[in-house]
Amino acid sequence: MIEISKLSKVFANDSGAPVLGEVDLSIAPNEFVVLLGRSGCGKTTLLNLIAGLETPSGGELRVNGKKVTGPGAGKGMVFQQGALFPWLTAKANIAFAAINRGMKKDAADALALELLALVGLAAAADKYPFELSGGMQQRVAIARALALDPEILLMDEPFGALDEITRNEMQDELLRVWAQRRKTVVFVTHSIWEDLILADRVLVMAPRPGRFVLERRIDLPRPRRRSDPTLVALYDEIWSHLHGGQV
Amino acid sequence: MSPRAQTWLVPAAVLAAFLGIWEFAADQGWLRPIQFPPPSRLADSFIDLATRGFPQGITLWTHAGITIARILAGHILAVMLAIPLGILIGSYPLLDRATSPLVAFCRSIATLSLLPLALVWFGTGEASKIFLIGYGCFWVMLSATIGAVKLVDPVLIRAARTMDTPQAEIFRRVILPAAAPRLMSGARVALGVGFMVIVGAEMIGTIRGLGSLIMEARTFYRTDITMVGMLCIGAFGLAITTAMAKLEAWLIPWQARVEGQPK
Ligand SMILES: Nc1ncnc2c1ncn2[C@@H]1O[C@H](COP(=O)(O)OP(=O)(O)O)[C@@H](O)[C@H]1O
Ligand SMILES: [Mg+2]
Repeated sequence: MIEISKLSKVFANDSGAPVLGEVDLSIAPNEFVVLLGRSGCGKTTLLNLIAGLETPSGGELRVNGKKVTGPGAGKGMVFQQGALFPWLTAKANIAFAAINRGMKKDAADALALELLALVGLAAAADKYPFELSGGMQQRVAIARALALDPEILLMDEPFGALDEITRNEMQDELLRVWAQRRKTVVFVTHSIWEDLILADRVLVMAPRPGRFVLERRIDLPRPRRRSDPTLVALYDEIWSHLHGGQV
Repeated sequence: MSPRAQTWLVPAAVLAAFLGIWEFAADQGWLRPIQFPPPSRLADSFIDLATRGFPQGITLWTHAGITIARILAGHILAVMLAIPLGILIGSYPLLDRATSPLVAFCRSIATLSLLPLALVWFGTGEASKIFLIGYGCFWVMLSATIGAVKLVDPVLIRAARTMDTPQAEIFRRVILPAAAPRLMSGARVALGVGFMVIVGAEMIGTIRGLGSLIMEARTFYRTDITMVGMLCIGAFGLAITTAMAKLEAWLIPWQARVEGQPK
């Protein structure tokens, strides 16, 4: 359960309207929420605030009733570029987190292998990130974020740097993993189709001050087809909000 | 000719031509032997130094061994101090701003100008020599470390923080390996400084070491010995630097591809 009320963010070295206005948002356990908006509207900032990587300038941010004071503690994060440690193998990257939790190396390695299998990369355990394709790196990054078995998974444009085919595969993959390990997911994207395929709920953001301008539930079962008339209609609605004068 | 052979043959041919012209010029009397002893004379001195030694029968190998031991001692001490300190300074912008004038200041002091002070502080024995070499290496390594840490991709540190990594572990398991490639090249540059400082550091209070060999030769107008000593320092510097590059490739296997070049 994530509860955000009147949350705002102003960077010290930044003049002009707040990067994030006073936003309210409440996310239920196991909900898959997608934040959508063009570049610079504060999506990453909001995600970093939830992650505890940035401190709010105002307002409240609670996870399970407890005020967020820092990163970690049940919040896993997947970054746009993966942010894998280049000096560690896929397996060691995933075990890194488990070792922090005080797990013995053998147990951490076993967990890493299990998670690699979950994301379909069992064969790549001993490969370094530079030996993996972009899509494979993101799978490892997802497995790494799952290693601490977080309740909340924060994903910042995790597939933004991938080609469209790989991106579609990764979306299926993520939904498959999510079906197996239910998590609360907050997923950032600037691709309209991505949110329509993934989300329980879409929040469209606008910049300066960063705020929500449209909220839609998508109650369709997954996997979803792009040709679904409901999605097509939603696509048009969201598009006009992102593009038109209503913002 | 294969490209591989070219990389060796061309420099070798250039070197041979250079030595040939030098020898010829000396032979014709265009170069004074006291100023430019011909290569054949240097070869003789080299054999003489290697077998009979100078001064007092100390062979070239003894000189070289002692010199390298001093350089490595000073260098390793400097690197071991500079890395933790540099990681700390580089990680905290406030600390970096506070110390950067001092670092630039100390780095700019020509190491050998400290020689008289080193003698007062540490006497004429080994300690003053290792201090001078260490001083020269330290500031170079410290700036290299600070720079390396500041260039660590912040997203790696953020990633570690989202994985409940304690700060001490972030230094050891994230910043240190992430900075490792630049630390290695910093260590190589610092070693070069060690080799530059050594002759001065060995000027006083010893007759052992390549630096003192060079100074001692001066007293006897043995330009040939000076040159052989210089060449030895150069050759060992080259050898150790090459060995370090090999070590680097072995220690940091991910580096070649990270920088975008194939291995
Ligand atoms: N550390 C920072 N300091 C100053 N301004 C920032 C910082 N981070 C982000 N911003 C500004 O905040 C705005 C929103 O950024 P961000 O949250 O990264 O947007 P998004 O992820 O939606 O593209 C941008 O205008 C950006 O320039
Ligand atoms: Mg962003």
